[in-house]
Amino acid sequence: MDQIAILAQGLKKSYGRVQALRGVNLEVQKGEIFGFLGPNGAGKTTTIRCMLDQIRPNGGVLRVLGLDPQAEPVAVRRRVGYLPGELHIDGNFTVEGALRFFNFLRQGKADWHFIRQLAERIDLDLKTPVKNLSKGNKQKIGVILALMHRPELLLLDEPTFGLDPLIQQEVHKMILEARAAGATVFLSSHILSEVESTTDRVGIIRRGVVVEVAKTSTLVNRSLRRVKIRFRQAVDASSLLALPGVALLSKGDGTSLSLQVEGEMDALIKALAAYPVVDFETERPSLEEVFLTYYQRDMDGGEA
Amino acid sequence: MRTIFWYSLGRMRSQILGWGLCLGLLGGYLVSFYDTLVQQEAQLLEMVKAYPPEVMAFFGDMNKLFTPGGYLNTEFFSYMPIVLGIYAVLAGSGLLASDEENGTLDLLLAHPVSRAEIYFGRLGAFLVALVGIHALAWLGFWLFVPGTTMDIMPGELALPFLSLLAEMILFGALALLFSMLLPSRSMAAMVSGLLLVTSYFISSLAKIDENLRQVAKVSPLNYYQGGEALEGMKWSWFLGLLVVALGFVLLAWQFFERRDIRVVGEGSFRLPIFSRKKGYSHAGTRD
Repeated sequence: MDQIAILAQGLKKSYGRVQALRGVNLEVQKGEIFGFLGPNGAGKTTTIRCMLDQIRPNGGVLRVLGLDPQAEPVAVRRRVGYLPGELHIDGNFTVEGALRFFNFLRQGKADWHFIRQLAERIDLDLKTPVKNLSKGNKQKIGVILALMHRPELLLLDEPTFGLDPLIQQEVHKMILEARAAGATVFLSSHILSEVESTTDRVGIIRRGVVVEVAKTSTLVNRSLRRVKIRFRQAVDASSLLALPGVALLSKGDGTSLSLQVEGEMDALIKALAAYPVVDFETERPSLEEVFLTYYQRDMDGGEA
Repeated sequence: MRTIFWYSLGRMRSQILGWGLCLGLLGGYLVSFYDTLVQQEAQLLEMVKAYPPEVMAFFGDMNKLFTPGGYLNTEFFSYMPIVLGIYAVLAGSGLLASDEENGTLDLLLAHPVSRAEIYFGRLGAFLVALVGIHALAWLGFWLFVPGTTMDIMPGELALPFLSLLAEMILFGALALLFSMLLPSRSMAAMVSGLLLVTSYFISSLAKIDENLRQVAKVSPLNYYQGGEALEGMKWSWFLGLLVVALGFVLLAWQFFERRDIRVVGEGSFRLPIFSRKKGYSHAGTRD
């Protein structure tokens, strides 16, 4: 239990007749970056908001850093840094005023030298009134608010939403640095490249249920690959197509093939030894394709 | 809680100054006309007699128009529950619901601060704002009293303001309670405002219609004294209003402690009468 940062068992939440969470089971280890994936409306934000006691679950068990958020919400929030997907701050503040106000709520725990460093890295002017900021610049305030007190656990809901690519990269670095300093990161996103490049493990939530938890690399490797093969002369590829997990995508004039391979490549490579191969190219799918494949399979009726 | 209190009070400073100075200036203007009015007592009495009793019911006892208490009641305190009530209802209903609807409460509740601290910090600021508005209005009146024949001590002049303050606290607390129960801040403000106006009409018309007197007993404005407080404050009414307000405040707190905080763009439940579907439905979650 000491090594578990977040534990959810059968977590349920409904709004009237709408069931937002239908029994979420989740275990996030301390020190890892955990990606929480799912389409809009799957229950990502609802799960995070339960962790902060902003909404109250209807059933199940939830522990954050060993604490029950409903029983000890202030203690949980003291140790957590949260970045909402859409940040809303009183427009009458300046950036510095907003940071000072929220730092007051944390009993001044944040170090101003560190805050200025963070602001500089993401190019945020502390003197600007919040009402004059663009959506992306407001999101930068959220990044600093989440990180400034060096929390044990970061709950990031779409952390780079609205940020330009350079700043996104910097935020990813900050997240990795926080983990290197010992923090656990729970990152909800539907930007799959972000999840793929930063997370250790991924959980996929669909319609309020976690349907898959796996190492990010495993999830990517497990899935379909596209293989393009060019031969010196026209060949009969029927023996290749007979291999388990191999399907034909396209066939040229007999000297080239495009295949889809599910699972390990070993059998295909061994079979190709009998062919005059000129070129062999595999295309590793992005997590996005994995994700879509996963959902497509689910929509087609298979239980994932 | 202090951080929340001072932050909330800071946000209300323009409301305090705006309402307080406007009412204070209006008070000064009215007080300075008192002597002129007294000089024309005979003519004005003739004119007042021509008014229908239904109209007079809203402005207090016209026979006392030429006493300081009667004058201030007719010219200012008789309609002030509606005027200042608009502020109380809007501020009360928006005390937490506005921040919830614009999404700022979500971020606040991600920090180590309890719901009780937020609730009472905001409520404290609202009460101080109401006291500040009343104090500035009182000051406006008092600054002009020495230049007239009104024989009122500062403490006496404060009594009708205290009576008004108790009503405003009650309606503000009621609006706060409705904002915790109804789907939106605007609906809470509308319902509270409707009750305020209804209470005003019932309490006023009960003075000329005996049939309404029983109903008026449950109308908060029945216990509003206005300028009549200058002739003797009914402290039991004042305290009674505050006790009822306290009840609303405690109930609203309990509902706030238990509620799911909405995020911006997210509705709460819909009232069945406004919903196309039967029963309650959630207007949609972000995720």
